[in-house]
Amino acid sequence: MTLRPGSALWLLCHELRLYYFRLGGSRTASAGSARRGPSRTSLAVMALASCGLHVFAWSLLPALASRGSAPAVLIGTGMLCLAAFSLMLSQGLKTSVEVLFERGDLDLLLSSPLPSRSIFAVRLGAVVIGTGGLYLFLLAPFAHVGVLLGQPHWLAIYPLVLGAAALAAALSMLLTLGLVRLIGVRRTRVTAQVLGALVGALFFLLSQVYANSSGNLQQRLARWIGAHTAPGGAFATDSLLWLPARAAQGDGAALLTVAVLGALGFAFTSHFTHGFFVRGMQQAASLVKNAAAPAGGQRYRFGRGLLLTVIVKEWRLIARDPQLVSQVLLQLLYLLPLCFLLVVKSSTTVPGLGASLTYLCASLSTALAWLIIAAEEAPDLLRAAPASAATVARAKLVAAVTPALLLLAVPLLWLLWRQPLTALLLALCATGASVGAALAVRWCARPAARGDFRLRARGNFLNTMLELATAMSWTGLTLVALNLAHGHPFDFLAAVTGAALLGALLLLTGAAWLRRQRPA
Amino acid sequence: MSEALPALRLRGLCKQFGRPAVDQLDLTVQRGELYALLGPNGAGKTTTLRMIAGLLAPDAGSVEVLGIDLANAPARAKQAIAYLPDEPLLYAKLKPTEYLEFVAGLWGVEATVAEARAIQLLDWLDLTAHAHELTEGFSRGMKQKLALAGALIHEPQLLILDEPLTGLDAGAARQVKDLLLEHTRKGGTVLLTTHILEVAERMAQRIGIIEHGRLIAEGTLEQLRGLATSTNAAAGGPAQGATLEDIFLQLTGHA
Repeated sequence: MTLRPGSALWLLCHELRLYYFRLGGSRTASAGSARRGPSRTSLAVMALASCGLHVFAWSLLPALASRGSAPAVLIGTGMLCLAAFSLMLSQGLKTSVEVLFERGDLDLLLSSPLPSRSIFAVRLGAVVIGTGGLYLFLLAPFAHVGVLLGQPHWLAIYPLVLGAAALAAALSMLLTLGLVRLIGVRRTRVTAQVLGALVGALFFLLSQVYANSSGNLQQRLARWIGAHTAPGGAFATDSLLWLPARAAQGDGAALLTVAVLGALGFAFTSHFTHGFFVRGMQQAASLVKNAAAPAGGQRYRFGRGLLLTVIVKEWRLIARDPQLVSQVLLQLLYLLPLCFLLVVKSSTTVPGLGASLTYLCASLSTALAWLIIAAEEAPDLLRAAPASAATVARAKLVAAVTPALLLLAVPLLWLLWRQPLTALLLALCATGASVGAALAVRWCARPAARGDFRLRARGNFLNTMLELATAMSWTGLTLVALNLAHGHPFDFLAAVTGAALLGALLLLTGAAWLRRQRPA
Repeated sequence: MSEALPALRLRGLCKQFGRPAVDQLDLTVQRGELYALLGPNGAGKTTTLRMIAGLLAPDAGSVEVLGIDLANAPARAKQAIAYLPDEPLLYAKLKPTEYLEFVAGLWGVEATVAEARAIQLLDWLDLTAHAHELTEGFSRGMKQKLALAGALIHEPQLLILDEPLTGLDAGAARQVKDLLLEHTRKGGTVLLTTHILEVAERMAQRIGIIEHGRLIAEGTLEQLRGLATSTNAAAGGPAQGATLEDIFLQLTGHA
């Protein structure tokens, strides 16, 4: 079927095609290959995963059917709906910023004779697909299997997910426009990223805290929920709060409400977005306000020496890029759950904390080293200069490693006062981890643009694994060393683990050195 | 070093990227000269400039800057060069003053000298009013002028510029041209590529035309004119008074 060029449906197809290409990521196409979008392998993996989900649903549904619609099931479903909806919102915020302000094809579309209302409706549709697609992929197998097993109410998944995604997309786009109006495009982008990551990390941390908390606390929480959700309570099971959960269970009225809300939100938002752009509000908000000239003229700081000159330049470039800083910090935030586990699972707190700190240092150094070394903005300037390349490289390593070690210094000083030996071992391991991480980047990372920071792992799987394994080995070594220093008996197992980790580190460092990029 | 040494001498320079990009190129630029390298797109101009700046190692041949071999003493040779590609080598998040501090640091310029020169250069190029702003907000012309200030802060003897006037408005282009002429007047040397033939015609003492990585013609405008008429007299080639455009198109076989 060929669609009439210029129709809304045609535009939607274009949008879907772009979405499909983007699924493939920024993987560098091999020479001569015209394939965009996911590779055959990833398509096969996706198909296989979908089959697996169908099988999983097949095994699960009969058991679920016997549970009926007990209040506990309703509450559980409601909680899941709430969690999924907040994740959808944060994802929608990111997608909205992208489709409205980052892709840069909006000017082309708006200058064409297409009605601008349909352009924005299609844009919003793209956000709906971006937010709901994953959930549909994960949940649709239940609907299909439900029909086969004679439980057609599972079909409610389709209208529920689409309605919720439409509502989430509408809300997040309105929120994006509001933020852009208030704080400008760039800061909105940072906010969207931070919010998205915070929501994700928050759910994980909460679930971990709950799982690791004492039975007493869990019982009290269950009692509290029970009291408030009992008939007549503030959140009784017939209150509006559980509407999505009832919709998920196939309640017709609830489903209709969700679907209508989604449709209304969609219509209102696409109309509003049209008005926002036509009145040129984003230009007003995005005007660059130049800083006032400093009083008393320019101040120069020439003659710092090459090493310091390079370090100062690198730190300035990073400190002035809030987007990069937020991305680096978010990466560390994602590690917090892992550190949390390390601390909880260790019998004594200090070794677990120490190992976590080592891992954080390694991650921070990797991120900064990538920005400073691989994402150098003007490599030609450095190479055209008569400055010694070795000195410049050393300065960049120092610039990448120092922030991690400075952050480490605070807990380290505290530890030095309490347990000098532990502190010394931790200092050694964390420094080794940071320097090792930065060196691995220096040897292996390919030149890239700063903006690609978030995508850097996608480009090179082997390097990422190398970085990860090195950081993990240093973390393990810290754990073993601190446990020994902390008075654990020196046993065979600890010795073997320690030796194995040291050997692994040597091997990994050697592998990184062998993989180093040679200048052309 | 002796004054008689040329500012730049290329001997048998070769570079292959699958096919030859620069092919047995010999070129000499005298001190105090403004030399314009012309050629169609893909003729090997940028590759040549990148080899002179030490960014690309030649497959064969040598580059001598003021008598210093670039391969043997890269630091000493680079000390005398400034390279300005068509995409200015800037940092978006640095202010002009900080950029100049950084470049001066790379070339090891003494603080007192660098500061005086930085103030003068920013003033000449009308950037003083923007000296406290981040470079990312600059227009194309301002960026190009700042990159030029960075190139001049270490007082290079040899300035290598790739399309220095692309995207500049009339005012900025005039400023850049004046600075280049001033540089040669003080004994400095300029090697530039350009697609704006009028610039070469008016500013350059000598012009080289390069095609398929080889120098196919070289000389003053008059000499090139003579060359074009003699090679194509029978076909009614450009007469006396022909523009550089006519000559260029005829020599590169597009006329």
